Amino acid sequence: MKRHSWMRKQQWAGYAFILPNMVGILLFFIIPALFSFGLMFTNYQFANPNVSFTGLDNLKRMFQDDQFYRAIQHTAIFLLSVPVSLVLAFLVALVLNRSVYLKGLLRGMFFLPYISSGVAVAFVWMLLFQPSHGPINEALRWIGIASPPGWFADSDTAMYAIDIVQVWFMLGYNMIIYLAALQEVSAEQMEAATIDGAGKGTITWKIVWPLVSPTTFLLLVTGLIMTMKSFAIIQAITQGGPSGSTTILSLYVYKTAFSYYEMGYASTVSWFLFAVILVITIVQWIGQKRWVHY
Amino acid sequence: MNPTAGLSKSRLLVTVLMLVAGAFMIVPFLWMISTSFQSASEVFSRWLPSKLDWSNHKRIWTGNYNFVPYYMNSLKVSLISTAGAVFLSAFAAYGFARVEFKGRNALFLVYLSMMMIPPQVIFVPKFIMFNWMNIYNTHWALILPGMFSIFGVFMLRQFFMGVPREITESAFLDGAGHFKIFFRLILPLAKPALATFAIIDFSWHWNDYENALVFLTSPKLYTIPLGLQNFILENNVDYNGMMAASSAAIVPMIAIFLLGQKYIIQGIASSAVKG
Repeated sequence: MKRHSWMRKQQWAGYAFILPNMVGILLFFIIPALFSFGLMFTNYQFANPNVSFTGLDNLKRMFQDDQFYRAIQHTAIFLLSVPVSLVLAFLVALVLNRSVYLKGLLRGMFFLPYISSGVAVAFVWMLLFQPSHGPINEALRWIGIASPPGWFADSDTAMYAIDIVQVWFMLGYNMIIYLAALQEVSAEQMEAATIDGAGKGTITWKIVWPLVSPTTFLLLVTGLIMTMKSFAIIQAITQGGPSGSTTILSLYVYKTAFSYYEMGYASTVSWFLFAVILVITIVQWIGQKRWVHY
Repeated sequence: MNPTAGLSKSRLLVTVLMLVAGAFMIVPFLWMISTSFQSASEVFSRWLPSKLDWSNHKRIWTGNYNFVPYYMNSLKVSLISTAGAVFLSAFAAYGFARVEFKGRNALFLVYLSMMMIPPQVIFVPKFIMFNWMNIYNTHWALILPGMFSIFGVFMLRQFFMGVPREITESAFLDGAGHFKIFFRLILPLAKPALATFAIIDFSWHWNDYENALVFLTSPKLYTIPLGLQNFILENNVDYNGMMAASSAAIVPMIAIFLLGQKYIIQGIASSAVKG
């Protein structure tokens, strides 16, 4: 690559461009993060002036906390939505890429949930899944299922119902990325396979799926991280209930801090969340080099 | 399949099947709008209202649960945050993309690592700091942090790096400084990228529930997501009203999506594939 020596002139300008942003990042991200790391080792409770250094007590408490372990289980169920939405998104993108009319309209229909995300959508789903009269259970009864699930109202099904909403919400985003990735799969590769007599299923799973594996890997990692951080939909629909069955880790942190005001302990749990995200990110760094076919 | 044969049957069939699948994706929106126009006795009993009942929407915009202030609060917070984020991110993105200064890579690594910090880690310290700064329970608690977007710096940096360097180089050799190049050359070229980021960032602020939940307590400051939640907590059997209120929150986003669809989809596709 050609050297661009001019880029190294006026270095002061580089600092000037970044400084305004850096001030904000420092004030609203870096300092709070360091502050939070310190809180982890205290028993700080909001509005309680007696704060003392408690060393590793919060960590010990966390590893003996049943609610913490339950939150991990719920988070794991929540994360199931990521691979499910990936596979569905891949299939939709595959079909939209080659064999339909009205591609733009269809793409818009599948993408719409993503842009209109948020609490309002959560409330719509709350009514759609309403157990006794809601349209989903009415439809299930109509096709002959006498006692359809209680969805958000039942602690055995609530987390899976949340997964359905999450898959619906993420599908369009993943589809858009897959569509972009499929554009890069060359027509020649596809044609060569067809001439070799490969069937459609073989082409899809033996040729196209491996070719888009970098995209799948990226979406899997970013999807897991994003899903782990988000609790808005759950807070809006169930507030973590019924009987704690949808309290995922991120929501557990929020509740510990702002419902019970145990802010020191909440900081500890939040750093566990960070540790999980860190591990996923490291796996991504290593994995990008090793497992992905380019 | 013969591409010259006009409409192909199999392709038509697949299109119809996909339209049915797509309809399932948008059914929640249609049901929401339909229910918002039904009378209380019709809810859950039919798909379409027997006649358009505007009273639910009237109840949302006037009377006890007036959404006008929530709307104004959301507009204020989202517009100022987005304007600030677009400008400040573009500024920093140019610095990272086009100036080679000492410590640039280290600084960029700091930005990268901040992406891993979940918002739950910094809620508590922000809560304490905002109390000290006297901005807790004010819109500034949402606007000030909202003006700094790490995602925006990444996305715009990506775009600026794609602008041919020769363009900036020749301007530089003609004696233009970095600021002149940024304002006169790069910003006009980056309009599509700026629009994409602005739309994504605006929708993020418009839908932001978690920060509002943590940092706002006075009902008169509530943004739409909190207003909506408040309405539902106090009227939890008023299903028609709930759906009218939800429509009020969602319909502007649908409108923005329909207008800016091209920018949004291209922006999302390009920001992730190269990542």
